Amino acid sequence: MTAIDVMLSAVGLVAVGSALAVVSTQHLVRAGLWLVVTLGAVAVEFLLLRAEFVAWVQVLIYVGAVVVLLLFAVMLTRAPIGRSTDLDRPIGPALLIGAGSGLGLAGLFAWVFRDMRVNPPPTGSAQRVGEAIFGDWVLPFEVLSVLLLAALVGAIVLSKKDT
Amino acid sequence: MTAEVTVATGTGGLGTDMVLNIGPQHPSTHGVLRLRLKLDGERVISAEPIIGYMHRGAEKLFEVRDYRQILVLTNRHDWLSAFSNELGAALAVERLMGIEVPERAVWLRTALAELNRVLNHLMFLGSYPLEIGAITPVFYAFRERETLQAVMEEISGGRMHYMFNRVGGLKEEAPAGWTSRARDAIGLVEKRLPDLDRLIRRNDIFMARTVGVGVLTAAQAAAYGASGPVARASGLDFDLRRDEPYLAYGSLKVPVVVRTAGDCHSRFEVLLDQVYVSLELARQCLDRVDQIKGPVNVRLPKVVKAPEGHTYAWTENPLGINGYYLVSRGEKTPWRLKLRTASFANVQALSTLLPGCLVPDLIAILGSMFFVVGDVDK
Amino acid sequence: MNPTLADFGHDNGWIVALKVVGVFVFLVVMTLFTIWYERKVVARMQVRPGPNRHGPFGLLQSLADGLKLAFKEDIMPLKADRVVFFLAPVISTVCAFTAFAIIPFGPFVSIFGQKTPLQLTDIPVAVLLVLACSGLGIYGIVLSGWASGSTYPLLGGLRSSAQMISYEVAMGLSIVAVFMMAGTMSTSEIVNAQAKGGQGELFGFEFTYPGWYVLLLLPSFVIYAISAVGETNRAPFDLPEAESELVGGFHTEYSSLKFALFFLAEYINMVTVSALATTLFLGGWRAPWPITQLGPWVNQGWWPLLWFTIKLLILLFVFVWLRGTLPRLRYDQFMRFGWKVLIPASLIWILALAGFKTMNNENLPGWQRGLWIGGFAVILLAILLWPRKRPAPKLPLEEEVAQRPEGSFPLPPIDLQVPVSPRAKRITADREPVQ
Repeated sequence: MTAIDVMLSAVGLVAVGSALAVVSTQHLVRAGLWLVVTLGAVAVEFLLLRAEFVAWVQVLIYVGAVVVLLLFAVMLTRAPIGRSTDLDRPIGPALLIGAGSGLGLAGLFAWVFRDMRVNPPPTGSAQRVGEAIFGDWVLPFEVLSVLLLAALVGAIVLSKKDT
Repeated sequence: MTAEVTVATGTGGLGTDMVLNIGPQHPSTHGVLRLRLKLDGERVISAEPIIGYMHRGAEKLFEVRDYRQILVLTNRHDWLSAFSNELGAALAVERLMGIEVPERAVWLRTALAELNRVLNHLMFLGSYPLEIGAITPVFYAFRERETLQAVMEEISGGRMHYMFNRVGGLKEEAPAGWTSRARDAIGLVEKRLPDLDRLIRRNDIFMARTVGVGVLTAAQAAAYGASGPVARASGLDFDLRRDEPYLAYGSLKVPVVVRTAGDCHSRFEVLLDQVYVSLELARQCLDRVDQIKGPVNVRLPKVVKAPEGHTYAWTENPLGINGYYLVSRGEKTPWRLKLRTASFANVQALSTLLPGCLVPDLIAILGSMFFVVGDVDK
Repeated sequence: MNPTLADFGHDNGWIVALKVVGVFVFLVVMTLFTIWYERKVVARMQVRPGPNRHGPFGLLQSLADGLKLAFKEDIMPLKADRVVFFLAPVISTVCAFTAFAIIPFGPFVSIFGQKTPLQLTDIPVAVLLVLACSGLGIYGIVLSGWASGSTYPLLGGLRSSAQMISYEVAMGLSIVAVFMMAGTMSTSEIVNAQAKGGQGELFGFEFTYPGWYVLLLLPSFVIYAISAVGETNRAPFDLPEAESELVGGFHTEYSSLKFALFFLAEYINMVTVSALATTLFLGGWRAPWPITQLGPWVNQGWWPLLWFTIKLLILLFVFVWLRGTLPRLRYDQFMRFGWKVLIPASLIWILALAGFKTMNNENLPGWQRGLWIGGFAVILLAILLWPRKRPAPKLPLEEEVAQRPEGSFPLPPIDLQVPVSPRAKRITADREPVQ
């Protein structure tokens, strides 16, 4: 275990812990703030892996924009200060589904890749990310952008008043 | 209970409304007007003006003051048009008592009323852009105000509450050489006013904020009894100075500034153009004052008693029509002095203008109604 | 001789500490100075003297204001969310300070014998760091608006979150052009890329014009400047604070040092976007053209700090100038401007620039180049000048009536005069509206 490994695990624990706080807190806006911590911790993980570009883009897009929009929506509709007691659902099924899918996925990945040895390519620079996206992965990338476009159009259609 | 959800703005569809109080302490209400708004996001669903925070019972106080003391009170309900207010009350008493005011006093009064109008308008010409967010015009407006206020101070001793009218004329003769100094000041203001004009009137952002915003139709203005610049901006061509002349206005040609759009920008423009008109009128009056010799007041009995009867004196105040309905039973105090103020009537129109607009528009509309809270609450 | 990316990360611990303190002091002093500067400049524009009591020319005015703020009562609203209420100004300030870490102040200097670049640090994606910091800074405003538990701050917080997200997009897009030209996102390298100017000739007088991107990428600079004003919540885009509408916007409920932190963050953000504009578009710390003729020393040692500060002050002057001149836009007008004008404009500009760069790389023959540029211009013109759908001309009433099909419901005559009720007549008799 190197120092990096230790830090990687510690930050990972922070991410998981704050993710749990997101779903367990009763403060609506605080849940959003815990989400910021989770996404921030993921960004730190990227930094520790020396993927600076991905890390800052993560901060810029997810922390700086997506969660702000989430908070924006929460405040626009209802933003009580203090606990919201009407948010609770029975914990049993949620625990089953959440833990089941989480552990199941982790197990699946561990089992599938158990024998695989990957030589990680040099990480980080914007150039490499660009080459990867527009080289090997251009089709999924384009499909994703079409999906986003569809979501955008859908949002406009939904928010338009019937006239 | 709507109070449980403490803050939420977009809940119009969820059965709870966000209630926002603009005022009684808010920088854009010029005092203590309060608006109780229901908002959906930033859109105003309903607006309820709540007045009376500054009610000082002026009408009741009039009834226990003699006719000389009344002027002090009339002075104060619209503190920006003090001279015009005193004038209205003095006119009412003079009419009931049948006093003939000396000609020199009439022309001096006209000049001072016009200067007072300019002072009032300059105040709003400065404060309105400030509410839209332009912080500079107010200083240019106040520079001109300062110049004119020096003139007013020299003749009356007051900068705001002049107390220069008396029943039967004016308090005293103007200081020697005052008229020429007043003319100089008018010339200076006329020379520098284009600074303010060019700074704000055609500014793109200012136009975007005011053109087509808060349109008051002529019919609505008439229905609410709006008057003055607010009504004339809607095309209601009515100005007492021309249509029912008092003082010396009968022998002056009064150009009436009218716009037809009825939006915030035309209200602002009416105000701005009236300043030019009033400065010109004041100069003409000063020229006449120089040609007329004679006293500026009449000798009154020790106890001023208006004979039994009633009269209504209305004047074109800077903000609109200001009227005093005086009922006397022959005593030394009025039995009743009903006050009709311009701002009170003009503010009524807010309840039709505000619903449906955005909060920033609300500020733009509120500012463009040019009211003084003391004048609303009396 | 100029610092490149490889020159960073080799400093001693104490030099780094010195630089950190240096940047901190620079920012605080700049804030104190900028407040005074703003008040003084605005005052001159408003025919009044401005602060002139404390210290020479009133220079200590902002220091006195800061001290006064520190001694004010610290008010915590009853309905506030205490933790978040406290956290919000801290977030704002920390983000504002952090962003300045990658701004280059100058080339190599020697500090106590150690040769080191006059810049705290640099990373390959330095400019993204600034954007990320301003993105995080939004939280300070949004959370303060929410945590105050009061309506005006909430409206202010809502406005600012929408506004800053929108203008961050425009800002990011305007910077993309710089990345494309410089081929890097590191600030020191971008400054280096602008070092080489071109030779020009005007009226037979030869001169070297600077390779500043403000000349090469003028549209980007304009878009950056506009969105920077929006991003820092300054007039005419100061909607979140709009004192005549929302009293104080997001910081209505704040007092004492917490308010001072917001104030500090706002001015630091102003300094930061100006410094970034200097770095990205105005050649960074390099001296402008006429000064460069004096000799190579102007771009060496501590001198560049002076040029950098001068450029910064000029940009800050523009901020103040705008505030002194313009009224405030309405919220929807402002958002429309951002999304429908700024963002499409920067997208088209980036596309054009990318096309141009590709053509240069491919070494196309001249006629093909002409074809491409011409085609692009034609398409752009077609989009801009596409005829708008005109509303059908409104027919006069008589013709509309005449067009009604046979057997329609009979209409009363158009000029029918309905008699008014006697009572209404009495009321409106004297004030007929003018048509």
